[in-house]
Amino acid sequence: MFLHRKLFVIIGCLILLGFISCAQEHTNSSYRVVSLSPAMTEMLFSLGAGDKIVGVTTYCDFPPQARKIRKVGDFSNPSIERIVALKPDLVIVNLPEQKRIKSELDKLEIKTFISSPKSLQDIYKELAAIGDTLGLRRRADSVINYMKQNIQTVRTSDRKSVYVEISPKPLITIGAATFLNDLINAAGGTNIFEDLEKDYPVVGQETVIRRNPEIIILLHPEDASGRTGWQNIQAIKNDRVFKNLNPDHLMRPGPRLVDGFRELKRIIND
Amino acid sequence: MNALEARSIQFYYDKTQIIDNISMSLSRGEFLGIIGPNGAGKSTMLRLLCGILRPKQGEIQLFGKNLHEQSQRTIAQNIAFVPQETHFALNFSVEDVVLMGRYPYKRPFQPEDQKDHTAVEHAMNAANVEQFRNRPINSLSSGERQRVVIARALAQAPRILLLDEPTSHLDLHHQHTIMELLERLNNEGISIAVVHHDLNLASLYCKNLILIHAGKIYAEGKPAGLLNKKMVREVYGIEVTIVSHPEKNVPQIFL
Amino acid sequence: MTKTIAIIIIFLIAIALGILVGPTRLDSEILQLRLSRVVLGIFAGGILAFCGCLLQGLFGNPLVEPYTLGSASGAALGASLGIFLFGAISPILAFLGSLGVGFFVYTIARIEGGLLRDRLILAGVVMSFLCSSLVMIIMVLGGRELYEILYLLMGYLGIIINATNRVMIIALIAISIGLVAFLYRYHRELDIISQGTETAAGLGIDIQKFSLVVFFSSALLVGLTVSIVGAIGFVGLIIPHVSKLLFGPKHIRNLGASFLLGATFLLFADTLSRVITVYELPVGVVTSLVGVPFFIYLYKR
Repeated sequence: MFLHRKLFVIIGCLILLGFISCAQEHTNSSYRVVSLSPAMTEMLFSLGAGDKIVGVTTYCDFPPQARKIRKVGDFSNPSIERIVALKPDLVIVNLPEQKRIKSELDKLEIKTFISSPKSLQDIYKELAAIGDTLGLRRRADSVINYMKQNIQTVRTSDRKSVYVEISPKPLITIGAATFLNDLINAAGGTNIFEDLEKDYPVVGQETVIRRNPEIIILLHPEDASGRTGWQNIQAIKNDRVFKNLNPDHLMRPGPRLVDGFRELKRIIND
Repeated sequence: MNALEARSIQFYYDKTQIIDNISMSLSRGEFLGIIGPNGAGKSTMLRLLCGILRPKQGEIQLFGKNLHEQSQRTIAQNIAFVPQETHFALNFSVEDVVLMGRYPYKRPFQPEDQKDHTAVEHAMNAANVEQFRNRPINSLSSGERQRVVIARALAQAPRILLLDEPTSHLDLHHQHTIMELLERLNNEGISIAVVHHDLNLASLYCKNLILIHAGKIYAEGKPAGLLNKKMVREVYGIEVTIVSHPEKNVPQIFL
Repeated sequence: MTKTIAIIIIFLIAIALGILVGPTRLDSEILQLRLSRVVLGIFAGGILAFCGCLLQGLFGNPLVEPYTLGSASGAALGASLGIFLFGAISPILAFLGSLGVGFFVYTIARIEGGLLRDRLILAGVVMSFLCSSLVMIIMVLGGRELYEILYLLMGYLGIIINATNRVMIIALIAISIGLVAFLYRYHRELDIISQGTETAAGLGIDIQKFSLVVFFSSALLVGLTVSIVGAIGFVGLIIPHVSKLLFGPKHIRNLGASFLLGATFLLFADTLSRVITVYELPVGVVTSLVGVPFFIYLYKR
């Protein structure tokens, strides 16, 4: 089983690399992109368009080449002046976090591409759209295919309830309108806060205890053991608390979600 | 031995000299008036005498012992200070205010005992504020309030009473009652020093006067010898008429 | 006497509501959770009101409390700095922040032989602004810690209690019981100092020592409280006034009554914060909603 999966990954990577290197699409190489989204930065690199990126945020740390690109500020406060100075043809912005920057750019009539994925489908759509924008649709399609093939819904009658904790103070979890919620579903689990409409709601401890998740996933460094009142939650009693997952594989709507999904599948179906 | 004795006192704020080398004493049973024009340093001198302010140079002795080598508590058991005006931010009852005079005799968490209540009764009686006992302090007139503050000072069972212009802002009736009260207390053996800027009142009630001018002692002695036209001209810069009080035979000043 | 019994009964009702009211049905785990939340509420509310009573007495100013004096903001700054530098709230930094800002405000308002009461509040407000800007810089630099700092600034009782903060909470309770008992010895001094520092000095109070002890202790209590539940505003402002309305001006009753009423008020506010929306609201939001109009009323009076 384990070998099988490994093989699958290698094949997947090879296919991906093959597509990237063999693709014959041509675009205007002087097209200048500023990406304010770490996920989109990753996506552009996976489309082989890394060389078009002239500016990124300090959060854009993957792939390693991205770190060498000029920084225009951090994710929540990019500098409009630095962006303009780079004379971009396109700026990729995240909504709702970068609403302010978006309106500034609109005023300056700089073209923007909006990234705001609320589901897996949104991610695929955005990939296709950025592919269209850059004239790299075929490459985009192949990345989409790669992701779709690797993120296939697990058929199971025994769906595990999952609680994802993004922050412990206060408790922040994920609601229905997130791609992570989709990933959990696809991996054979059910997010215990699937009924909440907000994407990243603050919840009370009591609700978590009452909903009694079978699996707890912590996307922060703090522990879940020893919390008052939590001792009888199934996940805690059965030692099914996971905290060493790479949050970049789960929180960044980019090609590395495939890795995150694989880990989720392992955790949920173990 | 004097009740209070100040030797070569110097005091200044930053670089402004307030008291410039004053030596003075308050003997036992004395009723001393400290007079002088505004800003002469009278009130500062009073605060130095009761230890609220510390002299920059010089020494003050309380019954022959250095004042600043004694705890503030011990000082408060000997000297009671009555400020010019007290603002009562909290509306205590009159009895509560007078009871605060027992503070120097209380340890933390020690409840008031019979001795305290006797002292409070005696003080309220002496200052004639018993009838206000349960009234909130801020419901009294300023003259009545001043009597309550004096009662609080008496509850300290002091040997020395220092007062800073106790009759300013008061009408004739209250001026009279307060000064009569002080005279009575003095007769009972309490040494008193009063800062006054009303020269006539000081002349009527004080046995001795000290005139402070520009931080120095300008003159001291009995009212009869001290209050004269030349002094008023030099210190206050005005010409006045001085006559003798028809009954008490002390000088009174007329503009 | 009847008033004392009445506030004790209301206090017990507040505890009962704190335990019984909530989004889910009560069972042994939820009971544990709500009990710890109630204990936290009692001590945080009690201490903030107690400190408010102390500081209003010390400065003779009815608008003073840990929040308006800037020391709560100072503590929040210290705590945020701890989150930013060490990834966890540092009670020592919170204490230092509270103490530092408090002293700065005190120095600004101090003149020879007294304090300017209006300047005290002005300096407190100015320092609160300064601390807020510094906290915002930390929030911008930090990013990930943003939510934690946000809740720290607003005050929140629904925190997770685990091995790391349990010690701190027990320390808060122990220190506060000790300090409250210790500071009670100053009830006479607080009564007297309301009549001015000269009167107090004349009655034999060592003003400097007394101010230092009260100031230092309340900074310690505020720092500790803020580092656990955040900067909850206005409890320390309102409660001492309510206490004085009920029990008169004497501090021997007010200090205790403020503690009890502060605990009661925060418990009610916390219960309210849990039921007015489906999400968990920071309790500081509720106390401010009640506190701000009250503050304006006091200022206008």
